[in-house]
Amino acid sequence: MESNLQAILEGILFIVGDEGVRLERLVETLEMDEEVIQSTLDAMISSYVQDDTRGVEIVCYGGCYKMVSKADVHEYAQRLFESTANKGFSPAALETLAIIAYKQPITRAEIEEIRGVGCDMMIRKLLARNLIKEVGRTDAPGRPFLYGVTEAFMDAFQLQSLEELPELPDFAKEEESENLFG
Amino acid sequence: MESFTVSIQQFEGPLDLMLHLIKEKKLDLFDLNLDILADQYIAYINSMENMHLEIASEYLSEFASLIEYKSKKLLPRDTSELEDNYEEDTKDQLVKRLLEYQRYKEVSEQFNVMANERLLHYDKPQSEITYQWMKESKESFVDTQGNPVDLIKAMNHIIRRYKIMQPLQMKVARKELSVEERTIQIKAKVLELPSVFSMFELCKEEDLHVVIVTFLSVLDLLRQGFFDCEVVDDEIYLKRGVRYGK
Repeated sequence: MESNLQAILEGILFIVGDEGVRLERLVETLEMDEEVIQSTLDAMISSYVQDDTRGVEIVCYGGCYKMVSKADVHEYAQRLFESTANKGFSPAALETLAIIAYKQPITRAEIEEIRGVGCDMMIRKLLARNLIKEVGRTDAPGRPFLYGVTEAFMDAFQLQSLEELPELPDFAKEEESENLFG
Repeated sequence: MESFTVSIQQFEGPLDLMLHLIKEKKLDLFDLNLDILADQYIAYINSMENMHLEIASEYLSEFASLIEYKSKKLLPRDTSELEDNYEEDTKDQLVKRLLEYQRYKEVSEQFNVMANERLLHYDKPQSEITYQWMKESKESFVDTQGNPVDLIKAMNHIIRRYKIMQPLQMKVARKELSVEERTIQIKAKVLELPSVFSMFELCKEEDLHVVIVTFLSVLDLLRQGFFDCEVVDDEIYLKRGVRYGK
């Protein structure tokens, strides 16, 4: 059953493409224990990564499992298609996303306070790219929207969950500890 | 004051600029000499202005508060406590903001690395038919109690999908060009080309409309005997015909 399950999961991951599939959905579909599926997926993830004869790997971004080509393929994909127009992020977009990721839910005014610049356009762009979403409103005057990051954000930064965010450096604390010992 | 050179560097805002100045002048952020920073900042903005660069309003607002700070310091000092507080407060507030901003600025570099690493991996769009199934199976257990936010999300998703499936809509600014006009152009252009040339030579850097008109013109020219034509693989080769003389 174990190897059969791997085959079924592999097939499903192939079919769902970039949409990916969530664990709950697999549990529902296969009518099997969550732990069994989870551990099989984990085993598959590591075996795909370790197996150098494979060009794809299985990833889990934001709780969604899917297949992607390995990084080694990138160079050849570029040659094959001459251009692979995948846009990165501007520094301004990265700053804004970072602030939202760590401080969500957060209003536009709070983001602007930290960055010291207006973020109206940037927020609209990020909303349009589906990287952030409105997650509610505050009771402050004007009832401004609160923003949070989306699954597409998790995908764009290869995060399985928000716990995987890099640790936010704290310069103020460094100073305190320096004073303590200095 | 030493001469000030402006590098046209893209700053993400006044705080970014201040951090840059602090680093460049090797100022200590924890024991900030606000006088130096204010001078530097003001000099920078002034030189930007001299170079007729457009200065975003955010820079000007910080500029104004630094000038306010400087002007208060220039006033004959009445060593009342109020003044001291003002200086400390302004400084503390600014340092606090700079420190907070710096956290996100630094961490965003790590985000950049993560994003670039992600760009090396490609995923495949789901085939259209599978997507239809998925929508149907989702519809079958749709929870009608869903909130508007879910609806908006779902709708956005569909619109995004739809955009992927549909060809881009483009407006073509039609440049009216008649077959007759194009025929004259081609006759002139052909003289610059070798006696046998690919039809592609005539269509380079032209939009679809012109390419179609070109094709019609060439057909007409063929009929009149200006060209002979031969098709090899997918290329159309034209040769100057009898009407051109040699």
